[in-house]
Amino acid sequence: MAQSNFDRRRINGPEESFPPVFTDEGVDEKAWKPGKPRSGRNPDEIRPIFLSPGFIDQANGSAYIETEKVKMACAVYGPRQSKSTSYSEKGRLNVEVKFAPFSCRKRRAPMRDAEDRSVALQIQQALVPAVRLELFPKSTIDVFITIIENDGIESCIASGAIAASAALAHAGIEMIGLVVSCSAAVHGDEVWLDPTEEEAQASAGTLIYAGMPALNTTTNLWQTGGMSTDRLMKCMQVCQERCAEIHTVVAHELLENAKRD
Amino acid sequence: MSTDLVLPGQPVPVPRGPTAQLGAGTYSRDGQVRASLLGTPRYQGSTLAITKIRPHPPAPNSIVLGTVTRLSPLQAVVSITVVDDVPLPAGEEFMGVIRVQDVRATEKDKVKIADCFRGGDVVKGIVISLGDARSYYVTTARNDLGVIFATSEAGSTMEPVSWQEMRCPKTGHIEKRKCAKPEGL
Repeated sequence: MAQSNFDRRRINGPEESFPPVFTDEGVDEKAWKPGKPRSGRNPDEIRPIFLSPGFIDQANGSAYIETEKVKMACAVYGPRQSKSTSYSEKGRLNVEVKFAPFSCRKRRAPMRDAEDRSVALQIQQALVPAVRLELFPKSTIDVFITIIENDGIESCIASGAIAASAALAHAGIEMIGLVVSCSAAVHGDEVWLDPTEEEAQASAGTLIYAGMPALNTTTNLWQTGGMSTDRLMKCMQVCQERCAEIHTVVAHELLENAKRD
Repeated sequence: MSTDLVLPGQPVPVPRGPTAQLGAGTYSRDGQVRASLLGTPRYQGSTLAITKIRPHPPAPNSIVLGTVTRLSPLQAVVSITVVDDVPLPAGEEFMGVIRVQDVRATEKDKVKIADCFRGGDVVKGIVISLGDARSYYVTTARNDLGVIFATSEAGSTMEPVSWQEMRCPKTGHIEKRKCAKPEGL
């Protein structure tokens, strides 16, 4: 009795399963609700970052990043020979993002969809100006990011860009500077940095800023929702300031890792 | 000297006086020398560079080692596995092509690919150009370039007897190859 929709490529779960029953499900009184002031941290505060370069042995370079409920692993392979592409004087930077099936509230089928690609595109856009692709003719650098836990697309893109640039530096791929990224959400008159999924969804608009603090340059900017021009400038300014701090975290971890080797 | 480590984007202090040439791992932007790799900048002669031994794609004048994978009357296809003495990770080989005119320096029109290479031979060559979309162009037109390892039809490792021939130690048969001159001879 051959099952038609049996997936042979992956480890399948048991045939019968039941959702776990949590006794305190949905009764978290302390949880933040839309319309309330931010709980747990100040508007200009970001979640603490844990970054660990070099934890995937078989990759040329890798990094793991964790900011509370955002956890992702990034691996860099290459430069390897470009397959099935025409001759190019410059190298290519290929970014692929995968959501783990258990990364979101609802199970994500292990298939590529539109969201992976838009996250990958934003991360690629943030990194491309930094990588010296002119040194890798005909070659491709592959960046694979696996999102283990997801807390909104904004923090995924921001943390993904940080992890990817740390992994590229760990892989010894020439870059003109380290890329760091920070997101912001507009709530009334306030700008909340590094919003969670609920905070971003309840906000009027969000902004993701990526740049190289070492060179004082911006590499990518992604804005959604409504935002006035001066609010946008304010967001960019606070993100830029925070990025300088994130840069010191990334720099510290990379130096610590380099000293250990 | 781990205290002198620099990060990508960090300015590299350059002493006054004659300007140093910038090597790998460094670049200049707005008149400021900066690092593009994580490492320690060092001077090699007058060149300032951050060296990091890691696999890199072939570039013109790289010395490469590869195995012959395919032969045709016009070219031999090699799978490049070592670039400038750095082995590439498994599965990340680069494709190289030795065209019939690049096999040797003289009497190029008399070259027959089948008399110079066989499948499975390990060849030492120099990259002459980035080639086309698919492959790098490799030449063996030098005494020290050519086949450095080959097995005979009987299956044993052959030894070179001249620059055009190799002998099987088991059967004594002579097979034709474009041999590389062994180092230190």
